[in-house]
Amino acid sequence: MVVRSYNEELKYLEKINPYCWKIKMGFQPNMNVEGVFYVNNTLEKLMLDELRNSCRPGQTGGFLPGVKQIANVAALPGIVGRSVGLPDVHSGYGFAIGNMAAFDMSNPKSIVSPGGVGFDINCGVRLLRTNLSEKDVVPIKEQLAQSLFDHIPVGVGSKGIIPMNARDMEEALEMGMDWSLREGYVWAEDKEHCEEYGRMLNADPSKVSLRAKKRGLPQLGTLGAGNHYAEIQVVDEIYDKYAAGKMGLERVGQVCVMIHSGSRGFGHQVATDALVQMEKAMKRDHIDTNDRQLACARINSPEGQDYLKAMAAAANFAWVNRSSMTFLTRQAFAKQFKMAPDDLDMHVIYDVSHNIAKMEEHVVDGKVKTLLVHRKGSTRAFPPHHPLIPVDYQLTGQPVLIGGTMGTCSYVLTGTHQGMTETFGSTCHGAGRALSRAKSRRNIDYKDVLTKLESMGISIRVASPKLVMEEAPESYKNVTDVVNTCHAAGISKKTVKLRPIAVIKG
Amino acid sequence: MTNIFKLKLSALGHPNPESFDCEDEKAYRSVVLWLEDQKIRHYKIEEREGLRNIDSDTWKEAYNAYQKDLVSPSLEGTMNEQLNWLLCYAVRLEYADNVEKYKNAKVEQSKQSAPSVVSSNPLDNLDFSSPAFKSGVERVSTVAGIGPHLDPKIRLSALSKILKTSPHPDPPKTETNVVLQPADVLKLLFVQDLRNLQTKINEALVAVQNVTADPRTDTKLGKVGR
Repeated sequence: MVVRSYNEELKYLEKINPYCWKIKMGFQPNMNVEGVFYVNNTLEKLMLDELRNSCRPGQTGGFLPGVKQIANVAALPGIVGRSVGLPDVHSGYGFAIGNMAAFDMSNPKSIVSPGGVGFDINCGVRLLRTNLSEKDVVPIKEQLAQSLFDHIPVGVGSKGIIPMNARDMEEALEMGMDWSLREGYVWAEDKEHCEEYGRMLNADPSKVSLRAKKRGLPQLGTLGAGNHYAEIQVVDEIYDKYAAGKMGLERVGQVCVMIHSGSRGFGHQVATDALVQMEKAMKRDHIDTNDRQLACARINSPEGQDYLKAMAAAANFAWVNRSSMTFLTRQAFAKQFKMAPDDLDMHVIYDVSHNIAKMEEHVVDGKVKTLLVHRKGSTRAFPPHHPLIPVDYQLTGQPVLIGGTMGTCSYVLTGTHQGMTETFGSTCHGAGRALSRAKSRRNIDYKDVLTKLESMGISIRVASPKLVMEEAPESYKNVTDVVNTCHAAGISKKTVKLRPIAVIKG
Repeated sequence: MTNIFKLKLSALGHPNPESFDCEDEKAYRSVVLWLEDQKIRHYKIEEREGLRNIDSDTWKEAYNAYQKDLVSPSLEGTMNEQLNWLLCYAVRLEYADNVEKYKNAKVEQSKQSAPSVVSSNPLDNLDFSSPAFKSGVERVSTVAGIGPHLDPKIRLSALSKILKTSPHPDPPKTETNVVLQPADVLKLLFVQDLRNLQTKINEALVAVQNVTADPRTDTKLGKVGR
């Protein structure tokens, strides 16, 4: 690879507007398209600092800086449009987290890459509303947090409380949320308000290794660890009254529950298995990439197809997982308030995936094309009137749920037409890391983190307090910066801001 | 096509309409001859010699001359179209000969297996020949840049082709309201239809759930991680 000084590197970057930078061809070898990333002044500094650090002599190991990773993705076969970095972009395995890339399905050389989906397949966010107000919840929020903690198993090695055998698991993998629906864990309306209606139809459990299934079975219905959480939040600010009303968010102080979780060990195993297969496929089909971590296979190769089918099964696993936790949350609230979940109006507002690859139709150079859109740490944000969004949101655009980090705000955005044309209907997914996990552990004390949350009036239940500093707000970019950048750049629109009052975490 | 031929042949009293195959050259020729001999009788018997030689190479010429004499509009058409016209002509003559007999014939009502559906969709009841429809198509076609054609329905199908293959063309500034307002109304109507459909889907799901649902939890299985 070419070694250049930081100033030379900068020649390949061009600020095309206050919120958007272009990565020109040649920044990395063999780029097929240009790259682009969305930042404001604060995030821009983080982004360029990362690049500068990597240019210092003697810097080896770890991930490449995000900008480099975006450019390497632009060099993958079959990519169309641009390789897009969202404001929360940070280095990840192969693809940066917060990178979106689309590949032309009609090009036989186009690839699918597990690195472009991420290890936590169909990690996503679900938001439930209630008709409760902050004043109803504050007096009993400790009990409520405890009750949620008792109902939803959390942490590394946690096990779910919904009895399942191997056959149930096979069915759940194939049916996704339809399984939860059939078994009575969710409401019919929940399915309506879920990306893909909670089920990827091309899922094929027979393409999933036994090992993945064994890992996944006991974990179904558990939150997991890492950045996953369940939060009781209240509406803090409403920016778009009409859109918020369509989502059933009518007033400031209204209580919501946000669940952020994914496919647990199951998805991780599916991704790991696929990476092994793909290395072979790359050798056979002579696919060259700039980075070994960008393992991939042609979409139409057996390996590519097997991965897509297994990935869909993992996506279904994640939906069943979030659905099971929805069920447990409703139970916890029902017990605490001695009211049926229906009477508490505990409807799912929406459920988004931010680690997934999907086949979608987009307009490229004035022509409608079918693309395989990879979104890693990026949320789909379809505009009003798009046929794939629920009827209730046809006039507002798809709700986009942006989870903050422990103790920070979360946001609800909506998709825009501009986002559809600029970023293939994609936007940010959360705060995005600023410090690595190791660095966070070194620099921050977990006791400080917990005290700080307490002083902010946030009840917290954690399974492993010693890992809390990895998730401390200081380890992340400021989610408000991220969301404001998306709003200002026009790729999605701010609707509601949510503030946490209780957190449960792994 | 074969079915139409069979129907008409049997109406005319052809001896074996069921076995007629219009692709079979010989059968075709003998049916033409049969029509002239029995039904049309345009020529005198001795003038039918050319048509009678159904094995001869000159039959085709005789057939063309015959059609010209009948002033058939299908002279330039395919063989099947030509035969179809001859059959229709024969049926017309047959009717004219026996007006009294056929006048009272009634169309047999086909058995109503499905209840008749009265469409509530106003689009199904459009009057394609109304001036309003024509001028509407004219306006929309101009906006989308579709060339003129006598039949507004053809222009409309051209428009639908354009809309399917390429992103929607932006209407010119002067026509924005003419195009956008009705489009907005259609979108709202569509959203309403969709909501009704989704509600019915949800009701169906709930009905099934009443049979299948049995949500259970077993707290003994639960384990909070480290």
